[in-house]
Amino acid sequence: MEDLEKRVAELEDRVTMLGYRISVMENRDPVLEMQNVEKHFGGVHAIDNFSVKIEQGQIHGLIGPNGAGKTTIFNNITGIYAPDAGKILFRGYDITGSSPHRVAQLGIGRTFQNIRLFSNLSVMDNVIIASGMDATYNLAEAIFHNKNYRRREQHLQDKAMHLLEIVGLQDKANERASALPYGHQRKLEIARAMALEPKLLLLDEPAAGMNADESMELVDFVQEIRSRFKITILMIEHHMDVVSNLCDYCTVLNFGKTLAVGTPAEVKSNPEVIRAYLGGTE
Amino acid sequence: MFLQQLITGISIGGIYALLATGYSLIYSLLDFSNWAHGEFAMLGAYVAIVFANMVGVPFLIAAVLGVCGAALISFFCEKVVYRHIRSTGAPNMFLMIGAMGMSTIFQQVANLVFTGQYRSFKFKLPVNTIEIAGAYLGVLDLISLVLTAVILVFLMYLINKTKFGLNVRAIACNANAARVLGVRVDRSIASVFLLAGSLAGVAGILYGMKYNVFPTMGNIGLKAFVASVVGGLGSVPGAIVGSLLLGVLETFVSGYISSSLRDFFSFALLIVLLLVKPSGLFGVDVQDKA
Amino acid sequence: MIEFFNNINTGICSFLHINSYIQGVVVLLCINIIAILGMAVLTGFTRLFSFGNAGFMAIGAYTAAILIVRHNVNFLIAMIIGAAFAGFIAFLLGSLTLKLKGDYFLITCLGFGECVRVLFNYFKKLTGGSAGFPGIPNYSSMLFAVICAILAFFIAWRFIHSKYGRNLTSIRENELAAEAVGINAFRYKRLSFTFSAVYAGWAGALYAGYMMYIVPTNFALNKSIELITTTVIGGLGSLTGSVLGAMLVTLLPEVFRSLSNYRMLIYGFAVVLIIMFRPNGLYGYKEFSLKRTIAWFKKLFGGKAKAGKEEA
Repeated sequence: MEDLEKRVAELEDRVTMLGYRISVMENRDPVLEMQNVEKHFGGVHAIDNFSVKIEQGQIHGLIGPNGAGKTTIFNNITGIYAPDAGKILFRGYDITGSSPHRVAQLGIGRTFQNIRLFSNLSVMDNVIIASGMDATYNLAEAIFHNKNYRRREQHLQDKAMHLLEIVGLQDKANERASALPYGHQRKLEIARAMALEPKLLLLDEPAAGMNADESMELVDFVQEIRSRFKITILMIEHHMDVVSNLCDYCTVLNFGKTLAVGTPAEVKSNPEVIRAYLGGTE
Repeated sequence: MFLQQLITGISIGGIYALLATGYSLIYSLLDFSNWAHGEFAMLGAYVAIVFANMVGVPFLIAAVLGVCGAALISFFCEKVVYRHIRSTGAPNMFLMIGAMGMSTIFQQVANLVFTGQYRSFKFKLPVNTIEIAGAYLGVLDLISLVLTAVILVFLMYLINKTKFGLNVRAIACNANAARVLGVRVDRSIASVFLLAGSLAGVAGILYGMKYNVFPTMGNIGLKAFVASVVGGLGSVPGAIVGSLLLGVLETFVSGYISSSLRDFFSFALLIVLLLVKPSGLFGVDVQDKA
Repeated sequence: MIEFFNNINTGICSFLHINSYIQGVVVLLCINIIAILGMAVLTGFTRLFSFGNAGFMAIGAYTAAILIVRHNVNFLIAMIIGAAFAGFIAFLLGSLTLKLKGDYFLITCLGFGECVRVLFNYFKKLTGGSAGFPGIPNYSSMLFAVICAILAFFIAWRFIHSKYGRNLTSIRENELAAEAVGINAFRYKRLSFTFSAVYAGWAGALYAGYMMYIVPTNFALNKSIELITTTVIGGLGSLTGSVLGAMLVTLLPEVFRSLSNYRMLIYGFAVVLIIMFRPNGLYGYKEFSLKRTIAWFKKLFGGKAKAGKEEA
């Protein structure tokens, strides 16, 4: 009996996945489209007339000096604050000004520049919490531990373990998140974002504080995630070698303004970008 | 009648303001509400009453000693407790819990040492009233009003025009940046605790003169806290405005509606105001940065 | 119904030779445990502070008392309604105030608690005002209180160890990150606030049946402060720790009668010292486990034995 139920549950999951895949295939809209987005704080234009279009499966880089407005763009997408003008479309839906949890539920996962884990919780719990949308049981079921509750909790455990295996943290599942070394914390944050089953992943300086070897390892890791989950990625990054190796396209920002858009090679040879980066005043 | 109520209200509001500015100053620097602040007022009043009634020093000297006592106790709290909690990097809420514990300790100590009995200054206080435009005003109220006004003006001067005030405002903006620029942060914070404590001492003595001195009188700190929230946490002018508003509201509710509903109206005003203006009248809305 | 419980209770107590004094202490302990479990969920797991839980206790107590005395409602139903009504009020209040940040939320809770007390004093016809509300039947027998406390612990434990507890904890750890993984922080905070108010109301209803006579001053700000104090002593983020804290705070003054005057003073010191030196409380973030305790004792005595050997 129990087996049968498990089987049914698996089939159900498969059907939903199939439905999801079909919807992804049918959806011809760009994964993310930002149209003329503006945001100012006081008199400062943090982002000025920013537009971008990211197609399914691309990795898009956002580069620019500190204070160029990169994180502000992330915060506008994820609903931490609403833009003052412009539109943000996610797979054709207008998500301008939606609340952060709503944006996450729709399928946008993110990491933070200064890592924000649930530090006092176990590595496993960090991931399980993020797959909360799969925890479809109610309060009474949670108190009486009925079959549905147990099945769902088991599923959450399995899913979290699977994700931890992918990022290589399966041995640390029961450790406290804050006890992990820095590089592992970054990976855990990515695993946590992946637990949302996002269609778009926002990475905020994933290679920050890493040396050359570690950054190259990160490049491989992100590429693997992309090909495995067929996911679209928007990332903020300073390391030009990471950007060149990973990104299909990138946008260069300076003081909220878009300086250049193109492939990493194109952007690197753009005179305006060179000027902004080398700080020439002429 | 109206004028009389108004003046009484402002005079009570003034006492609240002396405390509320202390809440605001400390909140602006450390982002926590110093729950023990009302207790500084109570202890200041007790120090003054010990010197005035038991030792027998002249009232004014006793009052000054009371103010110093409150300032020192406030300073001691910062030095021994709050600084230690800050150094552990604990969330701000822990500072508040610590302050709550200190408040309990002070209240219990006062209760054990002085018993719960109500005490009044043996010093002959001016109880007569004078008539202005048909209103009878207590001389004591007027003295307290003038004294409070002078102190508050001095406080505003201190914060807006002096080097010390500049340092304090710099720390309130960004403690780390201030430290890098050579502001001695811990020292400034300690001075603010001294300042806030002495203001609380004045408030306690004024309150004790008007009513009595008793161990739970530190609960006026609660009212002052409400006033500083109404004005917007961390804003000194806001705290003054909030206090005057609260003082006047309380006297009018007591006078025209019902004195037993006084606290209901103060707290209801607070809740309604916060629903309309979530950061109080003069508060700044800080956005969390990701 | 009341007699049924009371008779069994008398039977059990006379069989086990439990005198009425101990029964009273146990009932009081159970009441405190329930109120503090509510506080633990709110403060320990969500890191929200409520200085209004005494107000919710008052709502539970008065609702139950009025229903039983004036409307002849069965005490079990009255207790459930009392707790539910406290939760309902918390739900409404939280809907309005939980959007406020940090200390602004805290002061509205405090204000709410004081408003409740003032209003219960004011509406004499309904509540008896400051003269109190007498004539409540004694339904909080030891047996009933213990059953309630065990049930309360069981529910809280399962609540915390399900997605609900996990999500609350994630908000405590990092609200921004919790939102970023799709958790509606506002709704979960409101759930936590309501949960804690239901527990407070439950405890209040039991308290009414224990005291048989309630006055608004029973539920003053000091009661809220005592609840928070106990929660901090027991440890933020641990249900078993909270129960331990409740036991400590209820039983110590009974054991050391001579210290009863210094009760609050000792709590004050305990809170300050814990916050300074062991900010996670006695059992911070960990639940009590028999295995770990035995291991700890083994280590303690093993260590001592070793040290002894070395000395010799």
